[in-house]
Amino acid sequence: MVGFQLVNGLAGLLIVTSLLVILARRPGNSARFYALQSFVLVLIFLALAEVSDSHELYLWSASAFVTKVVLVPIIMYRAFSKLDDPKLGSGAIMPPALSVVLAALVVILCFWVVSGVALPAAAAIKPALAVSLAHFFLGLGCIVSQRNILKQVFGYCLMENGSHLTLALLAAKAPELVEVGIATDAIFAVGIMAVLGTKIFLTLHTLDARSLTTLKG
Amino acid sequence: MVSSNLPLLILCGPLAVAALIFLLPRGSSPRCFEFAHLVSISFVLVLSIMIVGQVIDGNQLTAFGDWLYVDALGAVFLMVIGVVGFLTGLYSIGYIRHDLASGALDAGKMKIYYGFFSLFLFTMLLAASSNNIVMMWVAVEATTLGSAFLVGVYGQKSSLEAAWKYVIICTVGVAFGLYGTVLAYANGSDVLGNSRDAILWTTLAAHATSLDPMLAKLSFVFVLIGFGTKAGLFPMHAWLPDAHSEAPSPISALLSGVLLKCALLVIIRYYAITVRAVGPEFPQLLVLILGSLSIIVAAPLFFIQQDLKRKLAYSSIEHIGLIAVGLGLGGPLGVGAALLHTINHSLAKALLFCGAGNVMMKFGTRDLGSVKGLMRVAPVSGLLLMAGALALAGFPPFNVFVSEFLIFVAGLKAGYFWLMLVCALFFTITVAGLIQIVANSVLGKSPATMATGDVGWRPILPMAILLLLVLTMGVAVPQPVSRLLQSATAIVLSDSSSVAIAAPWQEPFSTTPQPDNKKAKPLALATGTPSHTETNP
Repeated sequence: MVGFQLVNGLAGLLIVTSLLVILARRPGNSARFYALQSFVLVLIFLALAEVSDSHELYLWSASAFVTKVVLVPIIMYRAFSKLDDPKLGSGAIMPPALSVVLAALVVILCFWVVSGVALPAAAAIKPALAVSLAHFFLGLGCIVSQRNILKQVFGYCLMENGSHLTLALLAAKAPELVEVGIATDAIFAVGIMAVLGTKIFLTLHTLDARSLTTLKG
Repeated sequence: MVSSNLPLLILCGPLAVAALIFLLPRGSSPRCFEFAHLVSISFVLVLSIMIVGQVIDGNQLTAFGDWLYVDALGAVFLMVIGVVGFLTGLYSIGYIRHDLASGALDAGKMKIYYGFFSLFLFTMLLAASSNNIVMMWVAVEATTLGSAFLVGVYGQKSSLEAAWKYVIICTVGVAFGLYGTVLAYANGSDVLGNSRDAILWTTLAAHATSLDPMLAKLSFVFVLIGFGTKAGLFPMHAWLPDAHSEAPSPISALLSGVLLKCALLVIIRYYAITVRAVGPEFPQLLVLILGSLSIIVAAPLFFIQQDLKRKLAYSSIEHIGLIAVGLGLGGPLGVGAALLHTINHSLAKALLFCGAGNVMMKFGTRDLGSVKGLMRVAPVSGLLLMAGALALAGFPPFNVFVSEFLIFVAGLKAGYFWLMLVCALFFTITVAGLIQIVANSVLGKSPATMATGDVGWRPILPMAILLLLVLTMGVAVPQPVSRLLQSATAIVLSDSSSVAIAAPWQEPFSTTPQPDNKKAKPLALATGTPSHTETNP
């Protein structure tokens, strides 16, 4: 039971780190907070591996550490730190306090949805499962509520972390190759978004999504 | 199921060529890149024909520890990738040479183009042949990543904007697909107690009746949103007009003719699981709603566009909507007609986008206000564009007429009279828009300063083959294709009842390769309930 409590507790910490990623003013800082969040995710994987006696999850933890704690944040930090659009500011379309309130509402809603899931495997980890679903939607919220195109990339990363946690919670013994596939895909996605974001900045000299309005109708 | 190396081989070919092209120095002769590209698309065409041939003979091919699997359903889409991929690839040679000569592309970008073309083919082939549902998701996500640079290859402000929207919207959309995939897998893993096999689509489909119904529904909703984004269904279609209009024309043809269909295949795979798990009503209602809305929204937007390629992009949304309506109507007739429309739309739209490419080469613009009298200055291109427009408008004897007709028959048989009437009205708007293109851009008066002369045989040849295929499928659906579609329909519905997929005027033929089976009525002529025959999916 202690193990499951640890999993649920660490999952709660994910929400805090998500908010840090979303609310950080500079994309470089968001990359740091994303690394922190991914580290919490790795800790959850390790706790789950212990309580579910899943050899696969130990391997996941190792590969997630390499990809999410090290590689992806490094790619984002190196690519995004060079790009700065002072006119844009934080790029958020709503005040931080409102973001926090909305995040709380999303979490409550997800707890309500998850309470209806009847899978035996989910019984002990429902709070964590609700957090994973909420995490997915917080990522979506980050994309919708940000004008800075680089911050939108973090939104995708948060969504991907939410899906990843759900997979670990509901199918702890999934083959390692599955996790490798998802993680590799995320690296490529972030890499390509970083390249395109850089090209846009060099061509348009802005990171403001509102300036990408040539194509309409 | 038969173990075969073909599914693995067809993947290795374009992947190896893509790697080779990226390794070639930028300064290599353009002919080197073209040769490697030709090898790649020819390899894919030949192997896809071999695979489809084996599937038509009644085999289901597996490879790589059952992670790759080609059944009749997958074979339909492999055939589309092979044929349309080859013809748009062939068209690319002349088109890219023109872009190089005009300075729109340089040697480096040409290398990117050909390298990513093969990579894009690889990702689509992987999506169509995956049996592992997570690999299926990875493949669809990889199609975005593989084609993003193709969309933005011109490097202009508008093309970069289109590429960014494409990547962000599709990646986020497909993240929903990942969540749906995870839920489906977790559901199967928990119920089956076997984490390894639950990842296979064949296992999930075989044990779908044991799945948790709530999770199965939730999974389908996520999958429909996620892969529906990639398929271009309303309201997740926002990326599509931008990406299709800004990409080089052969890529627009590939995006519209093939990529959207690959995403649709994944939806159909989950549709099949959900039909088995919770019954047909829930998935049918969802796809019917999204399909109808796609038609209703896309038709007026199609009509008002002044950009030829943007117009064609909205037409793609409309036709994907019609395919979804066919799936939503359900039954052997609706699903079979939807699959036939998948093939027909791919061919007709590839022809039209290539036609738009010819317009770009001749007029240097996509603005329909400036494109006038193509027939006078480039007669063969004009004829091909006109044929493509008439085909897409749904006139006989072109192929789109047959599948549209069958979907409308399926709707009337299922009792959706008003819905079919609304769809028909909105399709009339599209017909008007296409007639405008024919009347003004093809048959109108050309600018006095425009020199006469066509775009050369290289772009014309693949378009002529496309037109031939459009006409062939329109005059009579070939018997092997019809049988393949029936087998694919039976896989989707888990139902042995079937009806022949044929043009209204076609003679009935046996529905299965087995000689002792009853003959089925051609769909359009069938009255009352569809005929029920033994099928062998």
